[in-house]
Amino acid sequence: MNVIEAEDLVVRYGTATALDRVGLRVAAGELVALIGPNGAGKSSLVNTVLGIVRPESGRVAVHGRAALVPEGRQLFGDLTVDDNLALGAWRRRRDSKARDTGKVYEVLPGLVRLRKRRAGSLSGGEQQMVAFGRALMADPDVVVVDELSLGLAPLVTADLAAQLRTLNAERGMAVLLIEQNARLALDLCSRGYVLEAGRIRAEGTAAELTASAEVADAYLGAVL
Amino acid sequence: MSDFLQYLVAGLAVGCGFALLASGLVAVHRVTHVVNFAQGMFAVVAGLTAGSLLSAGLPHGAAELLAVLVAGAVGLLVGLIATGKPGTSAQSALIVTLGVGFVAYAVEIMIWGDNPRSHPGLRGSVQIADAYVQKQSFLVIGVTAVVFTLLGLFFTRTYLGKAFTACASNPYAARAVGIDVTRMGLIAFALGGMLGGAAGVLLTPLLPISYNSDVLLITSGFAAAILGGLTRPGLALVGALILGVAESMVAGYLDASYQTVVALLLMLAIMIWQASQRTSLTEEAAR
Amino acid sequence: MNESVLVLLLLSAIVVTGLSMLMGYAGQVSLGQASFTMIGAYTAALIATHGRPTWLGLLAAPFVATAAAALIGIPLLRLRGHRLAFATLAVQLVLLSVVGQQAWTGGDIGLQGIPLLNIGGYEFSGDRPYIYLALAALLLVVLITRNVVASRPGRGLRALATSEVAAESSGVPVATYKLVVFSLSAGFAGLAGGIYAFYIGYVSPGSFPVLLSFEYVVMVVVGGAGTIWGALAGATAITLLLQWLNDLGTREGMPASAPAVLSYAVYGVLLILVVLFLPRGLVPSATSWWARHVRWPRRRTSEPADTPSTAPKEMHYEPN
Repeated sequence: MNVIEAEDLVVRYGTATALDRVGLRVAAGELVALIGPNGAGKSSLVNTVLGIVRPESGRVAVHGRAALVPEGRQLFGDLTVDDNLALGAWRRRRDSKARDTGKVYEVLPGLVRLRKRRAGSLSGGEQQMVAFGRALMADPDVVVVDELSLGLAPLVTADLAAQLRTLNAERGMAVLLIEQNARLALDLCSRGYVLEAGRIRAEGTAAELTASAEVADAYLGAVL
Repeated sequence: MSDFLQYLVAGLAVGCGFALLASGLVAVHRVTHVVNFAQGMFAVVAGLTAGSLLSAGLPHGAAELLAVLVAGAVGLLVGLIATGKPGTSAQSALIVTLGVGFVAYAVEIMIWGDNPRSHPGLRGSVQIADAYVQKQSFLVIGVTAVVFTLLGLFFTRTYLGKAFTACASNPYAARAVGIDVTRMGLIAFALGGMLGGAAGVLLTPLLPISYNSDVLLITSGFAAAILGGLTRPGLALVGALILGVAESMVAGYLDASYQTVVALLLMLAIMIWQASQRTSLTEEAAR
Repeated sequence: MNESVLVLLLLSAIVVTGLSMLMGYAGQVSLGQASFTMIGAYTAALIATHGRPTWLGLLAAPFVATAAAALIGIPLLRLRGHRLAFATLAVQLVLLSVVGQQAWTGGDIGLQGIPLLNIGGYEFSGDRPYIYLALAALLLVVLITRNVVASRPGRGLRALATSEVAAESSGVPVATYKLVVFSLSAGFAGLAGGIYAFYIGYVSPGSFPVLLSFEYVVMVVVGGAGTIWGALAGATAITLLLQWLNDLGTREGMPASAPAVLSYAVYGVLLILVVLFLPRGLVPSATSWWARHVRWPRRRTSEPADTPSTAPKEMHYEPN
């Protein structure tokens, strides 16, 4: 069963075409990477999958709940960490138990001491953790992570990647990881897509993509 | 001394009315970035409606409450017109609310005519030291205190209130967690309508209103709200009280005809001061 | 058409041409443009009622208005968007209040008995001479605007309307240009005010209500900001519409409030519809429609790039 299915997506802003007949699927419990250079249309794809941008044509379906860890964290800077987390459950707001942030603190114990702090005052790594926690509050079947490593120290990134792997293994939560750092993405994920200039240029298992000369050339740099 | 006390309380009461208007502007602006020119109109509609309901025999309290609800419905309608069409810029929306104000003039003249009207509030006055202060002034101050406390609790303690702050803080992230920002904007317009309405029903017994009172009301509300950059209700309250007291003192000690001039000059001074602060800040940031 | 309506129409067109330049090119909304009409009118009236030559009054009107705008523009134009809109509105409210209380301006009653305009022995009396005078003034204003817009600074102004930041970084002296356009548009309003004073024969604060400023904005928005034809069309359309509604409202059997109700309602609805559905105004929308469907029926042309929209780009808040 697929949690995300997109077919023939076309997205245009004015006269600029951001996505040109893009197809993508993420199976339940799968870790999928989407790599590509700046301006390839990765964020447009994310926004379309999450329903923030409506495609001009094509079809996108999410089976179950999807949550986003947006690029640049995008926290509610004026609210506390705890409030940020609670708002992650907005889609399930009719269920009063859904707003209980306790379960996120169990998974991400590093957030406990920050719970009363203003989200805007945190460091980049801490903010990414909050953005993570906020996505988890939606109890998602698939979490879309837009640029995990951007602006973070390598150690922090490695820590977050480990968290993702654990969540995937323990809860069967699918992950769609959008990354500029292709090495990180292909290490973490089992399958991947390469998006360039609004089109899917390559797709396959992580091993196939890593082995492909083109991908290695463009995204992995010299392999020592 | 007794004069001073009298002017002070009267000024605080009028300032509280401005504060309610200003908080409505802030509520709408925070979520939608639209400056709602029709905010003063809500007060006019509610004030005139309350008068009609009272003369139709409705008891005090019920009439005022109903009038506030009517203003809330009008607020929702204004929001639908100004922000309902996707892609309307904030500046276009300001001009749309100006247009709504014209339509409101037509409706108001049709229903209530073009003469100033008033309705009785709390009658009588209280003696403090040797000053006589109208009871209605205390009512305005008391109700405003209650409304601001409730608003504060709503925005900081409730889930819906926090969602409002979320929309203001980061609309993109709000959409990402599934908050319908457009709908929240409409709720803000309805809230703005009710706050403006509350100002209208409370102030009308003190200052008679007519259909075109909205220009001075919106200007006063804007003047108060701009102190907090149209985003901070606490500073808007402070601005409104300063404005009300300043107007009352000028009217009392100098000349009543200069009270609006003083208020307007105060607003201009605040905005120009803010602009100069901003320029030096951005220059520093650029360095 | 009634000849007095024609005079008022032409005077509105003079003011609106300037305001349209301010809104379309400097991207700023003034909700107090009637302040400058009022300053011009009072200047002319004061000079003429103090025994000075009337032509001097007419000449001084635009210059005094320009100078006043330049003076208040220096602090005011640091504001933009809704702040500037409210600031200009505040200026007019202050002006109305102050003029209404001074003895030398005649207070609320204003200045009565302004002599007829006399230039070189020719006395302007009746409607006809004022039609020609207003027409000549409009022509002058249109010529100045055309030259300003076509000049090198004018092209800088065009950049200003799209993005102030971009204009500034490409070396356009934004603050100076804004001040020039603001003062020039005030000068146009002052000129219209001067002619108005001699035509009507008296001025009072009541002749220049805040609603008059709003009316100018409606004319600009309806016609299309940033285009001369838009300004003329807007002024014409709104004046004729108001006149027609007034005729309709004063027919027998209509209630006394009918003219006011009708004009406010139509006015408001028109403003809302144009802003929402023809945001560039009647004239630019019509010309680009014409270009797409009539002149080059087969080729789809894109919108003409040189007609800036009313709304500056940075005011948009929808991130997508």
